[in-house]
Amino acid sequence: MRFRLVRHFTLASLGMFCLVALTLIYFEQQQAAILRQVQDQQGSFFNDVQQTFAKRQDESARRDLLAIHESGNVNLARLFANALWTKDFAPFVAQARTIDAEQCRNLPDVGNGGSMSTTAPKKACFAKIGQRIMALPGFRELDAKVYESMRKSTVFKIKVFDLRGITVYSSEHAQIGEDKSSNAGWRSAALDGTPKSELTHRDTFSAFEGKVENRDLISSYLPVLEPGSSRVVGVFEVYSDVTPFLNRIEQTSSEIQLAAEVNQRKVAEAALENQAKVDATSDRKLGAVALLLALLFAGLLLIVRRAEKIIGRQEKEREHSHQQLAQSEKMASLGQMVAGVAHQLNTPLAFSQNNVLMVREALGGMDLPMKVAARMSMILKDVEGDKVTLKVSQLKANLDKLEGGAVDIAMLQEMLGDVLDGIGQMSEMVVNLRDFTRLDRAAVAHADLNKSLHTVAYIAKSVIPKSIELVEEYGDLPAIECNPSQLNQVFLNLINNAAQAINGAGRITVRTMTAGSKARIEVEDTGRGIPEDALPHIFELYFTTKPAGEGTGLGLAIAKDIVAQHGGEIKVTTRAGGGTTFIVTLPVAQQPLVKAA
Amino acid sequence: MASNKSKILCVDDEPNIVRSLQWLLQREFEVHTASSGQDALALVNQHDFDVVISDQRMPVMTGVEVLREVKRLSPRTMRILLTGYSDMQAIVKSVNDSEVFRFINKPWNIGELPKVVAQAAEIARSRPAESGEEVTEEMPIVANGGCILVIDDDPAMAQAVSEVVGEAAKVSYTQNLADAVDILNKESVSVIVAETRVGSIDATRLVRLMKSRHPQIVTVMLTDDGDADTVTALINQGQIYRFVPKPVRAGYLKLVINSALRKHSSLSLEPGLSGRHTVEATAPGTLDSLMIDVQHAAMQYEARNQARRTGFMAAFGAGFRRLFGV
Repeated sequence: MRFRLVRHFTLASLGMFCLVALTLIYFEQQQAAILRQVQDQQGSFFNDVQQTFAKRQDESARRDLLAIHESGNVNLARLFANALWTKDFAPFVAQARTIDAEQCRNLPDVGNGGSMSTTAPKKACFAKIGQRIMALPGFRELDAKVYESMRKSTVFKIKVFDLRGITVYSSEHAQIGEDKSSNAGWRSAALDGTPKSELTHRDTFSAFEGKVENRDLISSYLPVLEPGSSRVVGVFEVYSDVTPFLNRIEQTSSEIQLAAEVNQRKVAEAALENQAKVDATSDRKLGAVALLLALLFAGLLLIVRRAEKIIGRQEKEREHSHQQLAQSEKMASLGQMVAGVAHQLNTPLAFSQNNVLMVREALGGMDLPMKVAARMSMILKDVEGDKVTLKVSQLKANLDKLEGGAVDIAMLQEMLGDVLDGIGQMSEMVVNLRDFTRLDRAAVAHADLNKSLHTVAYIAKSVIPKSIELVEEYGDLPAIECNPSQLNQVFLNLINNAAQAINGAGRITVRTMTAGSKARIEVEDTGRGIPEDALPHIFELYFTTKPAGEGTGLGLAIAKDIVAQHGGEIKVTTRAGGGTTFIVTLPVAQQPLVKAA
Repeated sequence: MASNKSKILCVDDEPNIVRSLQWLLQREFEVHTASSGQDALALVNQHDFDVVISDQRMPVMTGVEVLREVKRLSPRTMRILLTGYSDMQAIVKSVNDSEVFRFINKPWNIGELPKVVAQAAEIARSRPAESGEEVTEEMPIVANGGCILVIDDDPAMAQAVSEVVGEAAKVSYTQNLADAVDILNKESVSVIVAETRVGSIDATRLVRLMKSRHPQIVTVMLTDDGDADTVTALINQGQIYRFVPKPVRAGYLKLVINSALRKHSSLSLEPGLSGRHTVEATAPGTLDSLMIDVQHAAMQYEARNQARRTGFMAAFGAGFRRLFGV
């Protein structure tokens, strides 16, 4: 395919630009994805932080609540103990201790492993103990005192345990007599002397002032110390209501949660906004790059189109100058041929002219003798007998003119014969010239190459030095459809080249033969051969080994062109100092001629 | 009677040509013919020819080669080259190698050719033969007080001539034909070394006219002009001694100058010899046109060089007339 600059450039550069654009888009998208991912990560991290913060805050609030209430309960228990223990409870507890709880405690528990539950008979056994405690004297008074002191406080329930773990008093009377010796809170308070608190939620709870519902309570097991010593003498259990505090804590938590959610939403919105901004920037960037690429393409296209125009013009100029050179080469070889032909014509012209002029001169000298002879013949015709009287005085006066009649007529005839010979030579030359140029015939013809070659050889003989022998060895060749005038030019060029390769004497042999379906024409010389370094270039345009100004370097290039147009080939074999043979092969069955450029 | 006729030899490979020449010349001369260079040289060895006429384009030996051999074998024989086509190389060789008397183009003029041959034959018979001595590069230059006049636009040529001559001879140089006339008047010039054109003027006219008036002066054309007609005219009308195409090798230039000086001294010693270089008449008016051109150029030259003394033109006119005897 022919190289077409603009088309190739357009396709290649558009493809390239598309590739660049696609690459850019890919990386932009990649970047946007990374940004999104980073933002998501940041969001979830922020969320985690907030959640953790809220949870911690909630937990610490609850812990604080518990600690504060426990210490409050401890103080309460102290107050309670100081107020009631020595005077009221100590004697009451001492009474209650007299009631035996061992038989109830010895009743078996049911269950397996760790989880044990108290059986109903056991519960009933302990409930009976409670009956007995409540039946003790002073219970009602004590109960009333407790109720009185605790009314309108946040304390919902008070229990008192003796050191055996038996509930000796509870503001909820049903629980009196229960065994809490295995309770962790009791054990901590009774055995270690350490208060223990616990936050619990109760759906229903029997408080001092009746049943309450849905309450958060803190229950604290508190050791009761004997006043003035650190000896544990009993255990209080105080239930205090923290529902309002807990509600406040929960409210704070939920407010924090809400704020966190708002923050989270803001972060998400900001992320989206950033994403949108980044996307917009990226779109603008891509747009700008696309615009720049388009500008670049347009600029380059302009340059390339201009370049193509210039190249086209140069191509045309080169073509033109090549044609001119080819023309001048043709003119030069034609000029050389004409000079040779003129010289060749000069020879017959010279002797013919010489002879004709001499014959004319001789004929001029014969004028008077011929008149005399004619007169003599007339006189003789009239004379009868064999004697004639002549007046010789007039004849003697013109004797020198009469001597001219003694010309050798045979010589004159010979001279004119030579003139005829010369005319023959000249007309042979004219015929050959006409055959060579074929200007009066169709350019393409069915031609006998042997005849063509003979014409070329005839013309060439007048051009090349006479010291070079031109031998023609023609084999049988079928007529070939060709442009004989062009082929003549090729053959004359080959013969001239051959002659130029010969210094002094030598021989050029023009040979034809049929080789398969090809006609083969050889021009062989005994010249100096083609130097090895020149051989690969001899068919190149403008290559010449002649000095500048003498050779155009077009001869063989044109010859090759012409042979190629005939579908043939031109080859060369050469040996340094041993001569050169140019071989032209032409197909016998000729395809239509390629139109000459 | 027959023995009194001059003996001439016609050489051409074309039999019709030799026959024509024979018919044309046989009335006045004893004509021998040869169809090749070898045959011709064989005949030259057997006979003492006055004139040899040879065609240039022949197989094996060219006319120039034949005439060069004739010159060597028989120096007294006058040589005429006949040619159908002016091949520059052949013409140059005909001057330098064969020293031909005339260079004649085909077709010849049947009125002129017998006259030229007769003139040549007369010269061959009456004038002493030139020595066939070959001048070699080693031989010393002998000038006998003669002067070499170099006429060329390029001063490098004068430089080159001075270098090859050294102290042996005086070299005068000018770019101006008026000055050349002046020098020719004042000094005894042995050899003229000239370019065909000086400035815008055709200098070959001066060379041709000089030879017709002063045949002992030897002319060497040192030129890059390659016009066949110019050289033909220089042979026939100027009997130039050598035609040297530029650029020239110093060795060859020395050889040419040396042999030209020797030629001049032999022509001076024996004035009869210069008859061998009798020239064909130049076209009428050549002298006048040369004088007008030279005066014109001299005036232009003078306008450019104010320092030149007054009255130069008058002196030039007088010198020109004296030189050419008008």
